[in-house]
Amino acid sequence: MESQGLHNVSQDGYNSYQLYDSEPPPPPQISSQGIIAFDITQRFLNAAKTLEPGTLVKDGYFSLMESVGSIEIMDPKMDSGCLAPGESLDEDYDVTKPLTADQALGIIDQLLCHEVSRGPAIVRCEEPNKKQMAWHLGYPLSQTLFTNVYIEALLMPFPQTINEAHFLRNGEGAVDYDAMNKNPVASILRAYCLGLLKSCHFVNERIKSEHYYEEEDFVTNTYHRSLLDHINLQDIRDALSNASLLTYKRRDLIPQDIAEALGYRLELREEFLRAIELAAENGQQPAALEAPWDHMEMLWEAINKSHSLGTPVPEAFSTKIQRKLASTMPPRPIVQLSFEEANSHFKRLFLDGKEVVKVLDFKDSQSLLNFVLLFQAKKPQPLVYIRTLLQSYLFRDMVILGTLSIRHVLDNDLSIVTMPCSRLLDPANDEIELPSDPRFTMAQQMELFRQRAAQSYLDIFRAFCQNRCRIRRTLCHSIQDWETVQVDAEEIDQQLQPYTQEVPVSWPRANSPPAQRLPLSSWAYLYKLRLMEWIVQLGFELDIYAPDELAGMYWYLSHLARTRAQHIERIKTFTIQIVADLERRSVTVSPEDQDKYDMSICYLHMALLDATVTRELADALSCLYTALLRLDLIVPPPRPCSTDELRYDIRMKPFAPIGLPELPSFETFTQATQQADVPTTKLLDIADEAVANAKKILEVLKKREPDAVFTHGSHDRWVAATANGQRSAIATGLAVMVLRKALKGAPDGKNLPFKVEFKAPDKRYHEFWNVPSLVPKK
Amino acid sequence: MEKTSRLTQLPAELRYIQYEHGLEEQYLPAIRALISKDLSEPYSIYVYRYFLYQWGHLCFMALDPADSSLKGVIVCKLETHASHSPATLRGYIAMLAVSAAYRGHGVATSLVKRAIDAMAQRNADEIVLETEESNIPAMRLYERLGFLRSKKLHRYYLNGSSAYRLVLVLKPFDPDAAADLALDSPPIAAA
Repeated sequence: MESQGLHNVSQDGYNSYQLYDSEPPPPPQISSQGIIAFDITQRFLNAAKTLEPGTLVKDGYFSLMESVGSIEIMDPKMDSGCLAPGESLDEDYDVTKPLTADQALGIIDQLLCHEVSRGPAIVRCEEPNKKQMAWHLGYPLSQTLFTNVYIEALLMPFPQTINEAHFLRNGEGAVDYDAMNKNPVASILRAYCLGLLKSCHFVNERIKSEHYYEEEDFVTNTYHRSLLDHINLQDIRDALSNASLLTYKRRDLIPQDIAEALGYRLELREEFLRAIELAAENGQQPAALEAPWDHMEMLWEAINKSHSLGTPVPEAFSTKIQRKLASTMPPRPIVQLSFEEANSHFKRLFLDGKEVVKVLDFKDSQSLLNFVLLFQAKKPQPLVYIRTLLQSYLFRDMVILGTLSIRHVLDNDLSIVTMPCSRLLDPANDEIELPSDPRFTMAQQMELFRQRAAQSYLDIFRAFCQNRCRIRRTLCHSIQDWETVQVDAEEIDQQLQPYTQEVPVSWPRANSPPAQRLPLSSWAYLYKLRLMEWIVQLGFELDIYAPDELAGMYWYLSHLARTRAQHIERIKTFTIQIVADLERRSVTVSPEDQDKYDMSICYLHMALLDATVTRELADALSCLYTALLRLDLIVPPPRPCSTDELRYDIRMKPFAPIGLPELPSFETFTQATQQADVPTTKLLDIADEAVANAKKILEVLKKREPDAVFTHGSHDRWVAATANGQRSAIATGLAVMVLRKALKGAPDGKNLPFKVEFKAPDKRYHEFWNVPSLVPKK
Repeated sequence: MEKTSRLTQLPAELRYIQYEHGLEEQYLPAIRALISKDLSEPYSIYVYRYFLYQWGHLCFMALDPADSSLKGVIVCKLETHASHSPATLRGYIAMLAVSAAYRGHGVATSLVKRAIDAMAQRNADEIVLETEESNIPAMRLYERLGFLRSKKLHRYYLNGSSAYRLVLVLKPFDPDAAADLALDSPPIAAA
């Protein structure tokens, strides 16, 4: 692509031949019917000579990614095939050498460390002044399991059958029984590797079949190595049980404690395969799904305790194997994860694997949403395999939780949120075949609505199964989708209005003109508002906002929550009106319908409290941050290359296309945030009052039963999150108090003896509430 | 990270010059050496040429006046960003490096300012870059100039660490004209 590249080909190419004291090879013979070959070497060299070194010859499709993907052959840092003088291409490690049992244990434990560090990362153009960070979780097979010489020998040459899947093979590629008899520990290690590779295959396939981000969340590349997908699972199970037997039979060779330790590890492989297998089957009972995870938790205790019995064999792992993998990737180091780190990751994996099963216990759509929100908000976030498992439980084959239709969940949600016992949700409407019957139209229009809204609705669940950064980015797009869902829903609302027999209600005031209920578009609007709030809240969680932006962003959050509260009030007014109307007319309501009305009113009440808490606490923090800005305790950077208005544009870009609620103008936003006409002490009064309100509501919410707050399956997490919200409110109140005291001592507000410190998101009481600490200056 | 001791004072005012193709032979090896110093995996020469050949005018070097040796460099590009409607002219700061001993004297800031000016002159709508989340000095530098964090990129780097996308807007944004949100990734697709 580049002329210097071509020069290199010509010059360096010849130079390297000179090194070997030989001529370049003759051109290949090309003769085939219908092909007339020309030797263009000389023309090519002549053309290349007319170019200056460094000239770029490229077409318009040559992109940065392609240039980043290129490597320089024979540069040892880029070319994994480059050998140092005297270096051999292959690893000298002899896999046929008899292993002691403690060595096998050491290798297995190293493989465990590699297994849990599987995952992402690739180079992109990057800032060079960076620190080399500690190794994180998550690297490709090439830097983890595929660096093991036993796995390499087992997978290459490609094993057609289970018998060939061994690192001890004879000249024909089949298992070398002679070598095996001399080396019984090898059978144990081999069985372990078989189980490991097979489970890697299943994990890879599960992840690939759900929504995830390649390289960012996980690297599914297997570099043309098989993960034993073609080998029968039962054969691998047999190999594992035979190996377990061997640990008993060969006590002559294997000391008891090590034999037991190996046994736990083999059992872990069997259980992991079982967990994966069960999860892939439809209609499993939650208890059955939880069992293998439970068992693995127990096994892990024993594995962790017996880790010290093993003897590490570092020479059984080599980056040289990367040369043989189908990849142009530069040589990369083996990822070194300590067993302690692996320990905590495995523990979490098993715990999360068990907990995620609880999602299957469906009670109502709002509890389901809360489960997903709270489970995914865990810190650290569940591993990608668990996140894809959750997706598969949720959506596999378009059957929700393996048993429910999308319509069932969607109608359940509509019933809870905006239209309990509505005629529009009556399944009997579907049976009507007479087009002139209103029920026919209702069924038809509702189907139209479901087709329009179902995907957007399910996408909320799927979005929250992604990594935290992606959730926010995805929601930024989703709000535009919900904007159109709302518009389309309003059209359907209008069409259906004559059939629903709902009386218009004066809104927002008693003397306002009567308004329509618009249940479908009200539902869509409520979700859009929640999505918008989540985007801002995730901005706090991901530390997107600069310190001097916090006052404004908390104001905007409060503005959105206020809008949501008003909207919930509207929905509630209509629902209560309908119930009151039934009572007034002494209509007998079936207990079933009464439950639905109660449930909806209960939901709206809870949602109103939730929106109010967000509004109050966001208000308090906005006032506090405005005060800190006024008192120069937060000082904006000079920003010579930018203006406040341009930054407002970029900050609010995701919200700009949204018509309702309309993005406040820059002037409105600035006035609302700065509150120039409010004295600082008054700002602190407002903050205090808002904190008090938030604390009160949180206290009420915290004591509610799961049914009242729609947290079936995740109530403990919800109580903990609510308590953390409370702590954030208390901390905000404390900061306000400290500031107020200091201001009393220095009414001019000059040189207050504090500095403002911020906590990293994972150190906060709650990630959404970035409460400043006022630390005395020394 | 830095073991080299910093100079308490710069020996003399560094000389800032714009790169041009004719300087390749003289400076490309030094540019590569300076930039790849802190990288776990070096870029091939094609990456440097990709930028320098096409946007040499957006590359600036800080030279020691005594011997014209390279002490700092910034490498950028400026292109139409296609996923926007209407398309925006987007500048991108790809690489920035200052020799360890010369850090803390505003060399990087001077380089970035020159790059911003050059891109603004060429009508850029915005300038973006990514920086590792742990690279506090780099973020402070850019944020002091007016850049904002627009999004966080999960596990963006080879070593598994995340990045922030930083954006500097140079021209007002027209909400009616934008169909996309400059958020690069396509909306989530249900499997």
